[in-house]
Amino acid sequence: MSLRVDLVEGGRIALRTLGVNRLRTALTLTAVGIGVATLLAILGIIQGLNGAFARQLASLGTATLNVARHPWVVAGDWWRYRNRKEITLAQMQALALQSRLASAVVPELNEASKDLTAGDQSVSQVDVIGTLADFQKIWGYEVPQGRFLTDADSDAEQRVVVLGSEVAEQLFPGRSALGGTVRLENRPWRVIGVLAKKGQLLGQSMDLVVLVPFKTFLQVYGKRELQIDVAVDDPQLLDRAEDEVTGILRRVRSVQPGQPDDFSINRTQQLADTYQQLTSALYGVAIGVGLITLLVGGIGIMNIMLVSVRERTREIGLRRALGARRRTVVVQFLLEASLVSAVGGAIGTAVGLGLAKLVSAVTSLAAAVQPLTVVGGVGFAALVGLIFGIWPAARAAQLDPVEALRHE
Amino acid sequence: MLIRLEDIRRYYSVGTEVVHALNGVSFQVSKGEWLAIIGQSGSGKSTLMNVLGCLDTPTSGRYWLNGKDVSHMADNELADIRNREIGFIFQTFQLLPRETALGNVELPLIYRGLRAKERRERARAALDQVGLANRVTHRPNELSGGQRQRVAIARALVTEPSLLLADEPTGNLDSATGQEIIGLFEQLHRAGHTLCLVTHEPTLAARCPRAIRLSDGVIVNDGPGPEVALDGRAERARAAAT
Repeated sequence: MSLRVDLVEGGRIALRTLGVNRLRTALTLTAVGIGVATLLAILGIIQGLNGAFARQLASLGTATLNVARHPWVVAGDWWRYRNRKEITLAQMQALALQSRLASAVVPELNEASKDLTAGDQSVSQVDVIGTLADFQKIWGYEVPQGRFLTDADSDAEQRVVVLGSEVAEQLFPGRSALGGTVRLENRPWRVIGVLAKKGQLLGQSMDLVVLVPFKTFLQVYGKRELQIDVAVDDPQLLDRAEDEVTGILRRVRSVQPGQPDDFSINRTQQLADTYQQLTSALYGVAIGVGLITLLVGGIGIMNIMLVSVRERTREIGLRRALGARRRTVVVQFLLEASLVSAVGGAIGTAVGLGLAKLVSAVTSLAAAVQPLTVVGGVGFAALVGLIFGIWPAARAAQLDPVEALRHE
Repeated sequence: MLIRLEDIRRYYSVGTEVVHALNGVSFQVSKGEWLAIIGQSGSGKSTLMNVLGCLDTPTSGRYWLNGKDVSHMADNELADIRNREIGFIFQTFQLLPRETALGNVELPLIYRGLRAKERRERARAALDQVGLANRVTHRPNELSGGQRQRVAIARALVTEPSLLLADEPTGNLDSATGQEIIGLFEQLHRAGHTLCLVTHEPTLAARCPRAIRLSDGVIVNDGPGPEVALDGRAERARAAAT
């Protein structure tokens, strides 16, 4: 007899049996459904988080190198970076002059956690960045209100400021900040522009920032640790640009051959790598929890199938007496197990999608479920049924027809 | 010759003991014969029926069914032989409760791989043959005991097997219904079917043209049904006297 007959007949029997033991089927379905729903909701949230992070990362600019004494992400021996020589303006100028792949080179100075006021409004924990006009291009800032900094602002040491969107909202609630005056370090600054909202990266607002002209920054804060930002037109050239920048800097900083670099070149990719390192363990645990739930469902199926085999021992004996081969019996029970599981999986998929949507509606987590995940959910559930059906099906097939027919 | 058994032995291990259920059984059955196998419980008649029905294989000896040596066939081959050559009729009917009479009769044809249309046609014809043409859509619990056994007989007939094998076919029926079923067997016998009845009832064996009596796993008598059935009565009388 052909496998096709086995499958058609097995499927018919499976459908019929599911209809007969409705309550039992429903309970088994629920167990598998919960497993699949949990797994899908977790996957959905993970996909959503990853998607959100990727978008945030993209808003940082993907074709930018940042040269600094420290790497962005310091892992382990942080003190090694303490003794590195400073990065200087002269080195930046050498970079700007000698690099052929860089389309823009700007200096960047930072002061963290500053307070700003305007009238009786105030905002704290603001990053102050001193830089030049090309900074806008390099990091992809948009200025919907007013204008960005110019190099002339810097040369004239103008006391002007471009506000991050959150700073503007807090200092000038409900009105335009443009042309207003803010106080920073007990000095008045004129607002010449407001940046477009950038959102959060790893839970940190990227809009609690103000930009001031480079030389004005130097005048107010004195000498600070300099960073250099290098833009490359084509993200594909980023690796080559990094090699070039490394070469130029080693030369101008007189690093001996064989010695390690005494500076760090940062790229947004590093953040992505760090993000992955931090989250992969967490995701692993979450997926593990989902899988365990599914395992519980699978054991439920195995249990129900064992009961079913026992209940239908005489039927199995009869079918064998009438000419069913062992394989026919195996196929019948495997189909039954995977059918229950797949139906449970389909229900679980719907619930899981709902959960993911609910999570993204109620919390700030952006859950997203890819179509492939849905197909995978049902398929995976069927596979779980198949796997956990193997043992009961094998037991059914191993029954001796004579014994089975006599079974009470 | 439809059936040829040569020195069939079947031993079981029960714990450390070996039970000799069949201890060298040889006989032949021609096509169209109606034969009863009788004996008391423990005589080996159930084991013999399982071997004849290809549900069990002998420990030693050879069994030819319809020209094929089936005594040492593999499991799959035996399943196919059962499907093609044997029609089983059980004491407890063994109908699937959720299937209609038609569905039950169709069952062996499914395992033969026939298409639904042909299965239904043949199942209807078989039900007609046992007088249940107007009960095709009834489920077993809507049928009387006699009707259930008729459905089971239709299921055995539907594959046109070379041997109908009935295990205490009247055991679960009242005597009037039992007589009806025996009447049906007589019809089938006249129509040329080969029938083998396993029973412990001498009156049933007496209705068969031929009977084989088993005792302790060997044939103690093989002759015309009425004679062998009576011989049992004599045997029991002797046993009671001593």
